[in-house]
Amino acid sequence: MASLLEDLRLVARGWRWTHRPLVPRSAERFLPAPDPKEFPTAWARTPLARAVREGVQRFVLRPLVWTETEPRVEGLDHLEGLRPPVMFVANHASHLDAPLVLCSLPRRWRERTATAAAADYFFDVLWRAAATALVFNAFPIERKGARRGTGTARRLIEERWNLLVFPEGTRSRDGWLQRFRLGPARLAVEYRLPVVPVAIRGAYAAMPRGRGWPRPGRLPVSVRYGPPLHPEEGEDARGLNARLLRALERLWDEDATSWWASLRREAEGKTPSLAGPPAARWRRVWEASRPLPRPRPRPVWEAGESTTRGGGEER
Amino acid sequence: MARPGFVLEVDERTPPLLVHEGEGFRLEKFPLGTRVVYPPDPLPPLRDVEGAIRRALLDPIDSEPLPALLRPGMRLTIAFDDISLPLPPMRRPDVRQRVIEQVLEMAARRGVDDVQLVVANSLHRRMTPAEIKRTVGERVFRSFWPEALRNFDAEDPKGLAYLGRTDKGEDVEIDRRAAESDLLVYVNINLVAMDGGVKSVPVGLGSYRSIRHHHTVHTMLHSRSYMDPENSALHHSCARMHRLVAQHVRIFQVETTLNNETFPTAFGFLNRREWEWSLADQAAYLAAKRANDAAPPRVRREVFRRIEAPYGVTGVHAGETEAVHRRTLANVHRQQLVEVDGQSDVLVVGLPYICPYNVNSIMNPVLVNCLGLGYFFNLYRGRPLVRRGGAMIVFHPTPWEFHQVHHPSYIDFFEEVLAETTDPAQVEAKFEQQYATDEWYRHLYRTSYAYHGVHPFYMWYWTAHAMEYLGDVIYVGADRRAVARMGFRTASTFADALEMATDTVGRSPSITYLHCPPLVMAEVR
Repeated sequence: MASLLEDLRLVARGWRWTHRPLVPRSAERFLPAPDPKEFPTAWARTPLARAVREGVQRFVLRPLVWTETEPRVEGLDHLEGLRPPVMFVANHASHLDAPLVLCSLPRRWRERTATAAAADYFFDVLWRAAATALVFNAFPIERKGARRGTGTARRLIEERWNLLVFPEGTRSRDGWLQRFRLGPARLAVEYRLPVVPVAIRGAYAAMPRGRGWPRPGRLPVSVRYGPPLHPEEGEDARGLNARLLRALERLWDEDATSWWASLRREAEGKTPSLAGPPAARWRRVWEASRPLPRPRPRPVWEAGESTTRGGGEER
Repeated sequence: MARPGFVLEVDERTPPLLVHEGEGFRLEKFPLGTRVVYPPDPLPPLRDVEGAIRRALLDPIDSEPLPALLRPGMRLTIAFDDISLPLPPMRRPDVRQRVIEQVLEMAARRGVDDVQLVVANSLHRRMTPAEIKRTVGERVFRSFWPEALRNFDAEDPKGLAYLGRTDKGEDVEIDRRAAESDLLVYVNINLVAMDGGVKSVPVGLGSYRSIRHHHTVHTMLHSRSYMDPENSALHHSCARMHRLVAQHVRIFQVETTLNNETFPTAFGFLNRREWEWSLADQAAYLAAKRANDAAPPRVRREVFRRIEAPYGVTGVHAGETEAVHRRTLANVHRQQLVEVDGQSDVLVVGLPYICPYNVNSIMNPVLVNCLGLGYFFNLYRGRPLVRRGGAMIVFHPTPWEFHQVHHPSYIDFFEEVLAETTDPAQVEAKFEQQYATDEWYRHLYRTSYAYHGVHPFYMWYWTAHAMEYLGDVIYVGADRRAVARMGFRTASTFADALEMATDTVGRSPSITYLHCPPLVMAEVR
């Protein structure tokens, strides 16, 4: 009996309840190629699954995120006049990003939006794959290897689903923007999809990589939708990608300052880069994890200045 | 493409690692920083083995095509490796059968009537008819057994031909039929880099008179290692003998290589890296471990004995022996070689239930020692995995147990010779002749299924390099009496073994664990 317990204990040391492999560091370079089968997600877009998802998003996810953080959503008016399919493109620094975007969208947009999620992370085990597909209407995207493909994304666009994608491919390690991959821009160019940039600020401070729950204290986060970009005649994916990056930077700047100030700075070529300060890693993390200031009622004696302020200072 | 082998460095994420220990296995926690040498994943096997064999025979290396060497009225002898290869025995059809059948097809078409098949069992025990049938297949067995399909007899005075001496004065004596044939086709399996090549004919078909020249303590001490033919005095001697044999008989060598697919599905976890074990693998390990530990020894042995490896064939090359063997070695290295940076203070190995000399038999303490300090220690190229004066920790229960039919001389060797001395040189000088020429052992070798009287000596010489090189050898979980008889110490647990090794290597030694089987060979920089 004692030896059975000992055997169980030893095996349990290699047991992974989450089924996410804990790989010795020196073995990380030698992991096997992923399973070639793609997790099926079509069931998650059936009417029944959509009804369940709407209930979960509306009555569980949104209340949860909106009580644990203090989101401020702006710019939804840019969606006026658009028709699906469109592509929502956001910066990615936190697990809060997808819930923030999905739950901030109006229902008619939200229920027609599918989320691209990393196959190796969200679809590595059945229960997580099923839950992700159901709650976020997610579909798996291979991030590396020979199987990187956009088959499912194409099918979804053809079926007039909006896509929510994070072109960085993974959450930022230091809170600042990483290189945009070309895949989303290629799809947008090919299908001439309008691309709506979404700047999410404060999510890294509220729930950075490595945390399983938002930091206590209802930290403010901001979700700002920008005007849609339409792929132009003759424009290639690189061109659109660059334009998208600029739009996101301006949007971020708009959120940090004001619309007018951000336009002025863009015209002067002074929009701050989202790549973050060229400094040691700890300083970048330090800066990115600084919580957004809480919105507070503006003192009456400043009321008259609101339209003339263009200094770019944080309110 | 198969993943390469690599050296793992144990960190806090590393699960307990699998260690073989005879007819069993365990999970063992290794100290942080331990290096673990993992073999490459199995290479993809040839899809068309029959086609590869046909192409090798029709388009050989440095030789005319086989059909051109065959003619009516000639004497054709086909020799093949015995039961010591591969390990575990491979799932049927054995690749030797597939090669021999094609050779015979060609011989039949060319009108060759005088064909004999010989098991190149050297001084090993004879193979039983059932074992031979399993190796060559029913069709060949029914056509040739017993008149023209037989075991080699190294003690048959009429059946041996003395071919002369090499330039170093080594006697060369091999099977008469093979020596007097117009063509000798040798079919082998190269599981490790030591096998095959120039060693096939002079050793496989050689008599004691011939083999005694290179199976010596001196040769072993000058083979660094004997798994690296270029730096092996054993292989240099074999090469001289092979060239002399080749002056008398035309040799057409057919060499095959296998991948690392060592264990069948039921034991699939033994083929996988521990952090990649699925829940099913973990459950299979637990079930197999518990059932194995609870089973009576006889049942346990029977279960292991029935394991058939699902090996895939990775290469078939034929033609002139030395040219062919260069290709073969490249294939073996492709499957087994792993670069290791530098030596360590302690080498840890877990010995499996099987070695070349206990197929369908019992692994007695001399064979355990030979597998550990002989085969596993020598699985290197360049330098040993452990530094000179370092310690080796061996996992194996090492029961004091012998197969009465297969290993009669081992029993006396263990009781009589090792009781007096364990020094290979003294053993050789004082006892070898007596055992090698003993009439009773000779009789058992020729008529029963016994290993030759001298065989345990060779197994002991096989370990001479390690014994001379190492500062300490500690067996974990072994029979204390048996291990003490061989001159080593026993520890109950791995932690105790490391504690004991501190006498030799200090309190914080560097450790390397050779994660084998599946087979891996270290290229130590």
